[in-house]
Amino acid sequence: MAEQEFQPKIIGFFCNWCTYAGADLAGVTRLQYPPNIRVIRVMCSGTVSPHHVLRAFQKGADGVLIGGCHIGDCHYLRGNYMTIKRMRFLQDLLKFTGFEADRLHLEWISAAEGPKLAQTVTAFTNKIKSMGPSPLKRLTAKAA
Amino acid sequence: MVGIGGEPGHFSVKVLEMARYIDMQKCISCGICAEKCPKKVPDEYNQGLAKRKSAYLSYAQAVPPKYAIERETCLYFKKGGKCKACEKFCPTQAVDFSQTDVEKDISVGAVILSPGFKPYDPSQYTAYHYAKLPNVITSMELERFLAAAGPTQGHLVRPSDHKEPERIAWLQCVGSRDVHHCDHSYCSAVCCMYAIKEAIIAKEHSHGPLDAAIFFMDMRTHGKEFEKYYWRARDEFGVRFIRSRVHTVDPVPGTDDVAIRYLTEDGELRTEEFDLVVLSVGLETSPGILELGKTLGIAITPDLFAQTSSFTPVTTSKPGIFVCGAFQGPKDIPQSVMEASAAAGAASELLAPARFALARKKPVFAEHDVSQEEPRVGVFVCHCGINIASVVDVEAVRDYSTTLPHVAFVENSLFACSQDTQELIKERIREHKLNRIVVASCTPRTHEPTFQETIKEAGLNKYLFHMANIRDQGSWVHMNEPAAATQRAKDQVRMAVASVALQPPLKEFDLPITKAGLVVGGGVAGLEAALGLADQGYQVHVVEKKDFLGGHARKLNHAWTGEPIQPYLDDLVKRVQNHPKVEVHLDAAITNVKGFVGNFVSTVTTSGRDTEIPHGAAIIAIGGHSYKPQEYFYGQNPRVMLSLEMDMALREKNPLVTDAQSAVFIQCVGSRIPERPYCSRVCCTHSVENALQLKELNPDMDVFILYRDMRTYGTRENLYKEAREKGVMFIRFSVDDVPKVEQTADGRLTVTVRDHVLGRPVTLEADILGLASAIIVKDQLDLAQLFKVPLTNDGFFLEAHMKLRPVDFATDGVFVAGLAHYPKPMDESIAQAKAAAARAAVVLSQESIRAGGVVAEVDASTCVGCQACVGVCPFGAITFLEDQKVCEVNQALCKGCGTCAANCPSECITLFGFSHKQLYTQVDEALAELEVEMEEAAGA
Amino acid sequence: MDKIRKKVKSLLTEGKVAGYLGYILREGHPLPHLFTRDHLAELEQAVVPPGDARYPLDKILQALARRYPEDTFTIQVRGCDERGLNELYKWGQLDPDKVVLVGVACPQEQADYCECPGPYPSVVDYGEKCNPVPQSRRVARIDSLGQEAAFQEWLGHFARCVKCYGCRDVCPMCFCKECGLEHPELMSIGKVPPDTIFQLVRAIHMAGRCIDCGLCEEACPADIPLRVLYKKGNLLVKELFDYDTGSLGTGLSPWKSLGDEVTLETKPL
Repeated sequence: MAEQEFQPKIIGFFCNWCTYAGADLAGVTRLQYPPNIRVIRVMCSGTVSPHHVLRAFQKGADGVLIGGCHIGDCHYLRGNYMTIKRMRFLQDLLKFTGFEADRLHLEWISAAEGPKLAQTVTAFTNKIKSMGPSPLKRLTAKAA
Repeated sequence: MVGIGGEPGHFSVKVLEMARYIDMQKCISCGICAEKCPKKVPDEYNQGLAKRKSAYLSYAQAVPPKYAIERETCLYFKKGGKCKACEKFCPTQAVDFSQTDVEKDISVGAVILSPGFKPYDPSQYTAYHYAKLPNVITSMELERFLAAAGPTQGHLVRPSDHKEPERIAWLQCVGSRDVHHCDHSYCSAVCCMYAIKEAIIAKEHSHGPLDAAIFFMDMRTHGKEFEKYYWRARDEFGVRFIRSRVHTVDPVPGTDDVAIRYLTEDGELRTEEFDLVVLSVGLETSPGILELGKTLGIAITPDLFAQTSSFTPVTTSKPGIFVCGAFQGPKDIPQSVMEASAAAGAASELLAPARFALARKKPVFAEHDVSQEEPRVGVFVCHCGINIASVVDVEAVRDYSTTLPHVAFVENSLFACSQDTQELIKERIREHKLNRIVVASCTPRTHEPTFQETIKEAGLNKYLFHMANIRDQGSWVHMNEPAAATQRAKDQVRMAVASVALQPPLKEFDLPITKAGLVVGGGVAGLEAALGLADQGYQVHVVEKKDFLGGHARKLNHAWTGEPIQPYLDDLVKRVQNHPKVEVHLDAAITNVKGFVGNFVSTVTTSGRDTEIPHGAAIIAIGGHSYKPQEYFYGQNPRVMLSLEMDMALREKNPLVTDAQSAVFIQCVGSRIPERPYCSRVCCTHSVENALQLKELNPDMDVFILYRDMRTYGTRENLYKEAREKGVMFIRFSVDDVPKVEQTADGRLTVTVRDHVLGRPVTLEADILGLASAIIVKDQLDLAQLFKVPLTNDGFFLEAHMKLRPVDFATDGVFVAGLAHYPKPMDESIAQAKAAAARAAVVLSQESIRAGGVVAEVDASTCVGCQACVGVCPFGAITFLEDQKVCEVNQALCKGCGTCAANCPSECITLFGFSHKQLYTQVDEALAELEVEMEEAAGA
Repeated sequence: MDKIRKKVKSLLTEGKVAGYLGYILREGHPLPHLFTRDHLAELEQAVVPPGDARYPLDKILQALARRYPEDTFTIQVRGCDERGLNELYKWGQLDPDKVVLVGVACPQEQADYCECPGPYPSVVDYGEKCNPVPQSRRVARIDSLGQEAAFQEWLGHFARCVKCYGCRDVCPMCFCKECGLEHPELMSIGKVPPDTIFQLVRAIHMAGRCIDCGLCEEACPADIPLRVLYKKGNLLVKELFDYDTGSLGTGLSPWKSLGDEVTLETKPL
């Protein structure tokens, strides 16, 4: 059991119009990526609040990947303006508290960017693998 | 389209539909036919840079996503009945080699031509060696290299050795402004902008520093926000702009590199070497489209575009046949989109009496009340033939689903989307009293509507549904990891079940629409927009500040095509004034606006008297003004005049003009400068027009145009060419060394400008001096606030999307046209006005506005009135109720993005269907296994 | 002090304000008090408390404003209190036209203790303006720690939390009717110490809202250095969005408008 490679749990919040569509496109073109991600479809990346991200970490997520439309391409015009504000702030706040801010990643991936989706999920999964389990998870396990 | 008969309103069109050899109804776009097809052919979507199969999808995002078999290359057709691999492997028996081409007769009332253009093929340009040198490519090929879904997945490489280029050159005007190689005297209007865009993207895609150089004659960034983009490319991204004439393009011996020899503006011959050379190819009409034009019998211009008039820019020479996009003339996306709406509007005017004649009503199904029931979830796990089942253990997913809370019924299906399964799902809902449904199959983006329709027919609210994507984001992307893919499928099903169990039925409701339009502004754009609506049968109010109609067009002589404006304008005003559906309010202003799309009430104030006007849509067309320069003795010397004043002087045969022996025009007065960083778009053409008129008055007159870049875009280039041929002299100056004007004692003028070709200052006598001054907007702020619509930094109204929604605002029901949007010539103003009318008619033609569904709601009992949601709503859908001190979402305006919900610290806003609780639950469920593991670990 | 008494007295007698929210000396202790026209004599006991005795007057003012929405009040403010009022105006919780300031400048000693970037209000009726402390050494110290050390330090702090909500209850900027920290979907219930993310969720709410009065830290029975966390939040808001929390000069809060353009970029993977 202990010998097995660490398989991280990653939560993906993908916006319906761009990144979720890009993920579908990755499928249509049969691009392969690691199966560690669990995707939650949201209408806009602007639907994702820092609360949702923090809850995922609290519950033991090793990584959270947020995917939205490129700036200027948002289906809701400027919903993603808030996404980047919130997530850049949260990343920097996590960094200050030593919470390994790299476990939260935001990427703009369009509906046409199937390859970028596959590359991003692969690279992010590999990065989280190399970082090891989330320290919050270890902590929760200890507390339980 | 192979033939047409009949007359406007009653055409009979013959259409030839090619056999695709795949039954569209049966194809589930799994792509197995393409995978198994043994025949590889060049992929035209990727400009031949990649291969595709004979069984293919045009491109990955094609709509509908249905495959086709290409007869010309398919082995079955070429080898007389052999192969048929696609047929053998197709899981749904969709392949049908017995199909034949079908000729159909279609009855239509109007025809809109939007066949587009063909990029110019530079093979014939021997000097550029496109056909010979692999590292000389076209801009269209570069687009594919830069595309994430392109042949190199967005990695910028050059064709010869797949090395990442470090030096790229763009050569402009290949196939444009050139009568020697291609007989295209016109400017293609889009290449300057796309070259800048490509240069910036190439720089962003490069891993190392990239030298991007654009070789050009005139930089034509005349569109909205384009000039700033050009400055950013130059100043922030370091793109080099080299004003030059390219002499030759040659291979660099011993390398794959390419050398460019070019003449600088001052006549020096230089050579630079590049890794990759991109030819910025122009736009032309393809022979096939010309053939279509011939079939329809429409007039074609010498430049091979569909003939239109400045005053009816989307109407061909044949009544009932309209045109939009690049077949009307070379143009960019926003202009094409405007024309598309304008053409739709023109067709609607023609067909207004028949509106909805062919429409059918959807049946209404009684909805079962689930509010008092515990969730009973039915889960359908799809095999999708072998698409899911060959990777994911669908039986295991099914068995696992039965263990989940609230799940009352579980079943596998071979194809969940098939008609049989829809019937089965309805049956299961009745049989097992299911009140929520989860389908684990492909993607909700394509199939959610199908299943929602099905459960609706079974009496369930269509929102009591959730999809788990276990194909596109499951079996297809984890093909080599069946166990992990199965685990993921189980998790996604568990998340879906938990989320749908929390899902309440969502209400949709209908709001009435006031079938009247309000047009603010009585210039050409406003009047055309008003007529566009009135001719479709809607009541229109035109509100004009001044005491007459017509606006600045009153001062214009001719459109750039030479067509006289005043007769047209008189007729336009008359038609508006006599139209029974139009009410004109002169000396009037909008002083208050209440309501929202479909239900506005605006207050029109006329000499102190207020009238409340209910309307369903509004079009802002308040026009623009000339910038009144402080410089060049304007207002001090009668010989100095703005373009419109020169028009007047010409019209009135003012001796200052008729007796002049010399004339000088100065361009960009007040435009393209730091305080007004935009191009006013019309002035180059206007000055050329006036110069030509002066030459006509007196062919011996010395006429000079002092310019920075001549921006006679599109077929306007022909005027520029004519002016040069008739002896008008063009001298370029740069923004940091503008012409100097001096006044002699007798009131005559001299203009001194540094000639870049001669490399020294020249002094010109000017009996008259024309100033091409900027176009600006005034008095727009109040109106913008009243209608809650934004402005650009330059003061123009800011549309919802610069490319794709050029006449809409983010605020529903409000539209923009004419100079208030951006400077533009009359034909474009009219097209935009017609487009705005067509867009407004989309609102007014509805019986009601459907609101509700996935929208946000504020819980008034917990809202503290901080209004953080108000400011982050992209659609202005949230208002603060002063009396109750809480915020409220207008569900008719809400588009359901949820940006507000995520912004509320106390989470008192819910986006229905994506509630906080549903998102938290999905997070928890996604990590639920983990919790078990962690507890076990802690226990051990 | 006489200057304040005189100013307040004339405001009250002229009927310009319905009350003065300040401090009264009772049994040697300064306590918050609402002075009214009907009890003018009480003004003799009105005081400016020493630097370290403070109450959330801004919070009390919000309660007053809700109860008497038509009335104008005058309130004793330090630099932080005024920042609070400015933020509360922006967040629609107070009407600037219904507030009159009585300004108190903090002594240098207090400013140094608070690491206060603005130790005096725009109106000074009492005290001398001292030097602001633009940099926080406490924040700088954490910034200089390595990731793991910072993590361990904060974990140590968070583990002491007894979930008394004292930080929230005393905070003049916590004006929500319902607190996200008490949502069971977001925060586990019945757990002490609470979820590790407890302080982070609050820090997110405070960013661009915290006016750095420090009352939370003083209220915290577990001595969690909350002020450091929130100071950093505001520094980030300044760095990322160029927003000065509590100032009227830098426009809308970044959390209250989408903005016209995006200057931030996503971080590379």
